[in-house]
Amino acid sequence: MNLTLFRVTARLNWLIGLIIFAVMLMYMATIISMFDPESMQGLLAMLETLPPGLVAAMGFDKLGTTLTSFLAGNYYGFIAIMFPMIYCIIIANRLVARHVDSGSMAYLLSTPNSRVTIVTTQALYLLGSITVLLGLVTAAGIAVSQAMFPGRLDTGGFLRLNLMTLLTFYAISGICFFFSCIFDETKYSLAYGAGIPIAFFVINMLANVSERYAWLRNFTIFTLLNPAQILAGDPFTVTAGLILTGIALVTYAAAIMVFNRRNLPI
Amino acid sequence: MISVKNLTKTYKNGKGIFDLSFSVQAGEVFGYLGPNGAGKTTTIRQLMGFTNADKGSCAINGLDCRRQAKQIQRSLGYLPGEIAFFDEMTGTQFLHFMNDMRGVKDRKRMNGLIERFDLETKHKIRRMSKGMKQKLGLVAAFAHDPSVYILDEPTSGLDPLMQKIFIDLVREEKARGKTILMSSHHFDEIDRTCDRAGVIREGRLVAVEDVRSLKASQRKVFLVTVGSQEEVALLRASGLEVGAVTDNHVEIIVRTDYDSFVRALANCRVTGIDVLSQDLEQVFMKYYGQEAQ
Repeated sequence: MNLTLFRVTARLNWLIGLIIFAVMLMYMATIISMFDPESMQGLLAMLETLPPGLVAAMGFDKLGTTLTSFLAGNYYGFIAIMFPMIYCIIIANRLVARHVDSGSMAYLLSTPNSRVTIVTTQALYLLGSITVLLGLVTAAGIAVSQAMFPGRLDTGGFLRLNLMTLLTFYAISGICFFFSCIFDETKYSLAYGAGIPIAFFVINMLANVSERYAWLRNFTIFTLLNPAQILAGDPFTVTAGLILTGIALVTYAAAIMVFNRRNLPI
Repeated sequence: MISVKNLTKTYKNGKGIFDLSFSVQAGEVFGYLGPNGAGKTTTIRQLMGFTNADKGSCAINGLDCRRQAKQIQRSLGYLPGEIAFFDEMTGTQFLHFMNDMRGVKDRKRMNGLIERFDLETKHKIRRMSKGMKQKLGLVAAFAHDPSVYILDEPTSGLDPLMQKIFIDLVREEKARGKTILMSSHHFDEIDRTCDRAGVIREGRLVAVEDVRSLKASQRKVFLVTVGSQEEVALLRASGLEVGAVTDNHVEIIVRTDYDSFVRALANCRVTGIDVLSQDLEQVFMKYYGQEAQ
């Protein structure tokens, strides 16, 4: 880890994180403000007019009646997956592949820092910034809930939900980072680094549409992030958390190892 | 010092470098001469530790270029051939960043170089002209006072004044006992700075000679304009090597025998002389063979 590089990386990338956070915050506030225990029936009636497949794909079929389950269904099934995923795809690509493709990696490696140091620093920025992003979203969720509906948020369940989301994105970012480290050109880094997470995301949506496609759940990482299960305290949550942590460890370690050994076209 | 032993690196398209061996001593400026695509940058990538060799090895100051790249970089100044900086930074931010990455605290030498190259450092790098970027790259390569320099086409994009400043700087560094390797596809550039040069062709070193003897083997083409067809015939008969002739314009190829050239011209009414610029293959036909023609 090189602190100078970490600071510069932060300076070049913080704005994207801030924009993603602003969008997530806006959705969070909007969705919390839509929560109204009395008129939940009205919302459900409105959703019934939409095709059930569409409603299910976006996770709106699991609307709970408590604020926490309402958020789990409305926010953590879709918004909290999509935007951090976009963040991981963009940033992971910028952290390594872009420097290799443009040639600026040559300057980083012409300083007395090993490849492992350089790429570990970039990995730590990705992991750290995702932690900060989702940490801020969690804090904002608690703050907005307390302001609008004091005492109605199950803070413990909400924190568990956010922790699992964080672990999911440690794993997703690891996948993006791995492809950023192994390719010469950003077009390939993006094709795989974006393609695979987006495929998981689409498969997840399809799997939720109807029981007929439920078998697809076996082919997406997002199955490990099941908001309803997490809030219900299902013991599988622990297993899922361990699997996600394992994926993150393996992908990041592999990324650093491959980058250290490969030929660089710079 | 730099030493390269039996270095081989083949790329998928069959290009690469094959069984290269040469060394550069401390206090020496070594020119690495070859046309584009001959393998100059491939060699430099090996020296920088960016790629893994198929066979052979290279070392700088006795350290292996691939495995001990980190230690080597402490005393190595590198100018990439295709310069890509952190475009979002200003020149100052970039130079300070490089200093910090190298753990260099002293900015005196860097500021001296900025002044010497008349470098504008306030602007974002993205907005800089090609020449300004090249100067920024040179300042970054020389700023930490390394003992070995690897410069990939250092004068490209520099105006003649800046080229002179660069050449003076290289001579000073040489006098201070530094080891310098610079690649180029112009012989003139090498001629003005280097002691020895290696000529590379299609990934193989075809000659490693001192610059003086290289100079002797270079051929120059003069385009001489004379007054009449009779004089054209006279030049043809003079024993000089004559190339294409169009109207009263005669191409004359000269290697070392400038004296006969001048004597032959003395018998004609010469109305113009131009030196034709040629590429490296034509200058060093001896090394590049006839197929280059």
